[in-house]
Amino acid sequence: MAASDTAIIQMHHVDKHYGQLHVLQDINLDVHKGEVVVLIGPSGSGKSTLCRTINRLETIDSGEILFEGKPLPQEGKELAAYRAEIGMVFQSFNLFAHKSILDNVTLGPREVLKTPKDVAEKEAMELLERVGVAEQAHKVPAQLSGGQQQRVAIARSLAMHPKAMLFDEPTSALDPEMINEVLEVMVELAREGMTMVVVTHEMNFARRVSNRVVFMADGQIMEEASPDEFFDHPKTDRAKDFLDSIRGH
Amino acid sequence: MGVGEVVAEFGGVYVQSLLSTWLMTIVCFLGGLALGVLITVMRVSPIKPLRVVGDFYVQVFRNIPTISLLVIFVYALPYLGLLLEYRACLIVCIILVVSSFASENFMSGINAIGVGQIEAARSVGLSFVQIVRLIVIPQALRTTVLPMTNLLIATLLTTAMGSQVPLTPPELTGMVNYVNARSVAGISAFVVSAICYAGTALVIGFLGNKLDKKVRIVR
Repeated sequence: MAASDTAIIQMHHVDKHYGQLHVLQDINLDVHKGEVVVLIGPSGSGKSTLCRTINRLETIDSGEILFEGKPLPQEGKELAAYRAEIGMVFQSFNLFAHKSILDNVTLGPREVLKTPKDVAEKEAMELLERVGVAEQAHKVPAQLSGGQQQRVAIARSLAMHPKAMLFDEPTSALDPEMINEVLEVMVELAREGMTMVVVTHEMNFARRVSNRVVFMADGQIMEEASPDEFFDHPKTDRAKDFLDSIRGH
Repeated sequence: MGVGEVVAEFGGVYVQSLLSTWLMTIVCFLGGLALGVLITVMRVSPIKPLRVVGDFYVQVFRNIPTISLLVIFVYALPYLGLLLEYRACLIVCIILVVSSFASENFMSGINAIGVGQIEAARSVGLSFVQIVRLIVIPQALRTTVLPMTNLLIATLLTTAMGSQVPLTPPELTGMVNYVNARSVAGISAFVVSAICYAGTALVIGFLGNKLDKKVRIVR
């Protein structure tokens, strides 16, 4: 899983406020091609916001974000085209409620990439097979379990052949017994060399799969280290407190 | 003159007036729905002037009695050099009112969609227009079948405004004047019209319920 030297995502001095609240404070972060970066930290630390700024679901006040060396487009067609290159998986799945599982996966390729229907459906079925929900292809999202819905959401992102994928707490809304089936898909993606930014509370996943752990608190990056280094020898008190609190029980 | 006699003597014209009511209802409802979609797209667009105009439109036409609008169209517009036929005036007025109510229904349907699906659609790379066309409108339509059914019935009843202008053939309420100008049917003429309205509304309500069960989105 050697990450190459090119930083595919670069964030320089990024700041963002929600009113009085300074949610992102002077964020500097590089993500290299093929790298898996895990963002962890207490709730309200800004990790989800950071993740969402990368495909501009959140705007920033100052600083800059570059993708493949180019600043993110501001609005309109270029922004849509940029977003098509970045996969995004949400905490609450966000499947299109009125469309079948198959149509959820083919919608992007057909409408954005203009892939012919039969090609898009063939590819979608392969992806659904891969994430283990091919038998559900003709059901609607509400008929699937949370774990299945989240795997469909991953397939929907993969159908766009993304250059990188963002995961915003992908397992936080799942019942415990469904977390692993989603994590397994993510582990496999990481093995295949997908560039991933993952906001998660799954410490085992962070430890096993990530190349780098970024610990955030109060809108700042407090610490950045390899997973072994971070979990075994956290440097800051905030990180020690945080790790103690999640290991406490 | 009893109801039976009214039907026997004026049955043929009643059928014509019933068809006239139905046709106006369909035209006004479909026109209102189409215009309502357009107004709603304006109201949710990222462009502020469009949102302001859309909101203003709804506040104007939702809050003016249809009869007042009709008076304006029939008596005021000719002064501006715009002379519409009576039936056209009526249809345009009803469409304006129906579209503002339709837009309010759509807005509630859109609010039920949730920001998450919209964010997912944006993440896939869909444009604003594609999101509206592929995600927002289909879901808003399917979640608002019942309020739209009510609106269709309200449209049906609002076409009774046609009794205030000369129409040939008359619609169901104007038909009462037609009958009573030609014989002494009194309340019986109203009863026949009322039965036609109620029967139509019952069928609409029944079909609306069935359609709702079929297309409702399970969440």
